[in-house]
Amino acid sequence: MGRSGWHLVKNPVVQFLATGLLTFAALLAGTGFYVQDAAGDEALLDAKAHTQLLAQSVAEPNIRRELLLGDVGATDKFDAFTTKYLKVGDVKRIKIWSANGTIVYSDETRLINRKFELGDEELEMLQTGGRRTDAELADLDSPENVYEDKSVEMVEVYTQIRAPDRQGELGKGPRLLFETYYSVEGIEERQAELIAPFQRITLGALGILVTVALVMLWILTRRVTRAAAERERLLRSAASASDAERRRIARDLHDGVVQDLAGSTFALSALAREASGGERDALLETEDSLRSSLRALRSLLVEIHPPGLSADSLPAALQDLIAPAQATGVRATVDVSGGRGATAETVALVWRVAQEAVRNTLRHARAAALSVVVRDQGGKVVLEVSDDGVGFDPAAVRPDVHYGLRGLDSLVRDSGGTLVVRSTPGAGTTVRLETRS
Amino acid sequence: MSNRNPLVAALVLAVAIPALASAPAQASDEVRRSGSCTGSASVKIKAKHDDGRIELEAEVDSNRVGQRWRWVFRHNGYVSFTGRAITRAPSGSFEVERRAVNARGIDAFKFRAKHRASGQVCVVRVKL
Repeated sequence: MGRSGWHLVKNPVVQFLATGLLTFAALLAGTGFYVQDAAGDEALLDAKAHTQLLAQSVAEPNIRRELLLGDVGATDKFDAFTTKYLKVGDVKRIKIWSANGTIVYSDETRLINRKFELGDEELEMLQTGGRRTDAELADLDSPENVYEDKSVEMVEVYTQIRAPDRQGELGKGPRLLFETYYSVEGIEERQAELIAPFQRITLGALGILVTVALVMLWILTRRVTRAAAERERLLRSAASASDAERRRIARDLHDGVVQDLAGSTFALSALAREASGGERDALLETEDSLRSSLRALRSLLVEIHPPGLSADSLPAALQDLIAPAQATGVRATVDVSGGRGATAETVALVWRVAQEAVRNTLRHARAAALSVVVRDQGGKVVLEVSDDGVGFDPAAVRPDVHYGLRGLDSLVRDSGGTLVVRSTPGAGTTVRLETRS
Repeated sequence: MSNRNPLVAALVLAVAIPALASAPAQASDEVRRSGSCTGSASVKIKAKHDDGRIELEAEVDSNRVGQRWRWVFRHNGYVSFTGRAITRAPSGSFEVERRAVNARGIDAFKFRAKHRASGQVCVVRVKL
C-alpha cells in the first residue's frame, strides 16, 4: 500500500465510514433473516384473517340449507355470489366441505358433490375448530386437487362455518369446512410488500444516522486537525522565541558580564603581579575565583546557546554539554563519527535532543556513566544518549518528567525522524534519535 | 319488427321460428332453442359451456316497449335465478344472461317469463 493509501486508511472519517458500512451490512444480513421470517408469518396471518373474514362475514350468511341437499339452483345462486364476493383478492380456489367429506360447493364445479377423505386436521377443525383458522401447504397430489395446476404451489387455509338450521336460522345448522387456496407466490409477494416499508424505514434511518455522524465526525476531525496545527504553530513559535531569547541572553552575557569579568580578571592579575605578601595572595585568590566564575558562565552560555553550531563544531559542542557531568564525577564520553554533511537544522536538532537527554541524566538518573554517540546509519544521522542510571518505567512516567523530550518529539517528527526513549527501572536509559542528514 | 301488418309478421315468424329451432349450434356445443308464448311475444334461449359453467342467454321479444316482465331460470327443476326486466326500444325486447354450474349428467334449463298486465307467459327449454 502506498503512502497516500495508508494515509487514507488511517483517516478517522474513512475508518468510521468503513465501520459504518460493515455494521450496516451486518445489520442487513442479521435482521434480514428474522424480518423475512416474521413477514412470512405475517403474510400467512393475513391469509388466515382474510379467510376468516370471508368465511364468517360473507360465506356463512349467504349459504342456504338447500346447498347441502343437492339443490343445483342453490348451487347456481351461491356460485354467482362466490364469483362476485368470495373469489376475490389472491384467493385461487374455494371449497366448502360437509362433515362426511363431500364438497358441497367449489368454484371448480367438477368437484361439487364429490366425496373425498378429509385429513385429521380438517376433521378436527370441523369438530372442534370453532372460529379458529389453520393453514398448511396444499398437497396437490391428493384427489381433491386433481384439477389444480401442479406447477403452482398453493397454501390452503381452512376454518369452520355453519349452515342454517332447518328453520333457516343462520349459523345454527351443520358444521362445514370453509377452505380457501392461495398461491405461495402470492403470499411471498405479500411478504415482500410487508418487508419493503420496514426495510425502507430501517435503511433510511441507518443511512441518515451514518450520514449525520459522518458529517459530525468530519467537522470534528477538521477541528482537531486545525487545533493540532495551531498547537504545532504555537510550539514552533515558542521554540523559536525561546531560541531567540536564549541567543539574546547569551549574546548579552557574552558581550557584557563575561567581558567585564574577563577585564576584571586581567586587572586583578596585573594588580597581583605588582602586589606582595598577603595582599598579593588575596588578589590571586580573588582572580582564581573570578576565573572559575568565568568558566562556569561560559559553560552556561554554551548550554544556553552554543555559538556557531555546525556539523564541524558538533563534537566540541557535545563535549561542552557533558562537561558538567564530568565535573560531578560521571564517566561521560562523546563519540561523533557521523553527521559530517548534515544540515544546520539537523545538527541543531541533534544538539537539542542530546542537551535534553544529558540534562535528564544529570537531574534524574544518578548515573555513573554517560555516553553520547553520533553516527550515520542508512543515510540517516543517529544519536544515542545512554546512561547506566536508575532508569524508569516509560509506561508510568509522570507528565512533568521528560517533558522536554516529549516537547521535542513533534519537532523530530516534523523533520521526518523518530525519537525513542528506552528505559527499564534499574537498567539505565537510552534516548535514540534517528533523523535525515 | 313492425306490427302494422300482422299477416306479414305471422308469415315471417312462421318461417323464422322453425328455422331458429333447428339451427345448428354456432359454437362447438352451443345450443339454441325457441320457446312458446301465450300472446304475440316470442322467446328463445342460447346455452353453451364456458370455463366449467354453462352460459345462458334468454331473450323475450314482445314488440312492446316498456312492458314489465318477471322471469325465472330453473336448473334441473330447481330455481336458480329470478328477476324482473323491462322491454326496451327499439325492438321491444329484453335479454337475461346468467351462468349456471355444470352439474353432473344432463343439465336441463327452463326459462319462464310472465307479463302480469297482459297475462302473457313465455317458456323455453334447453338441455346441454
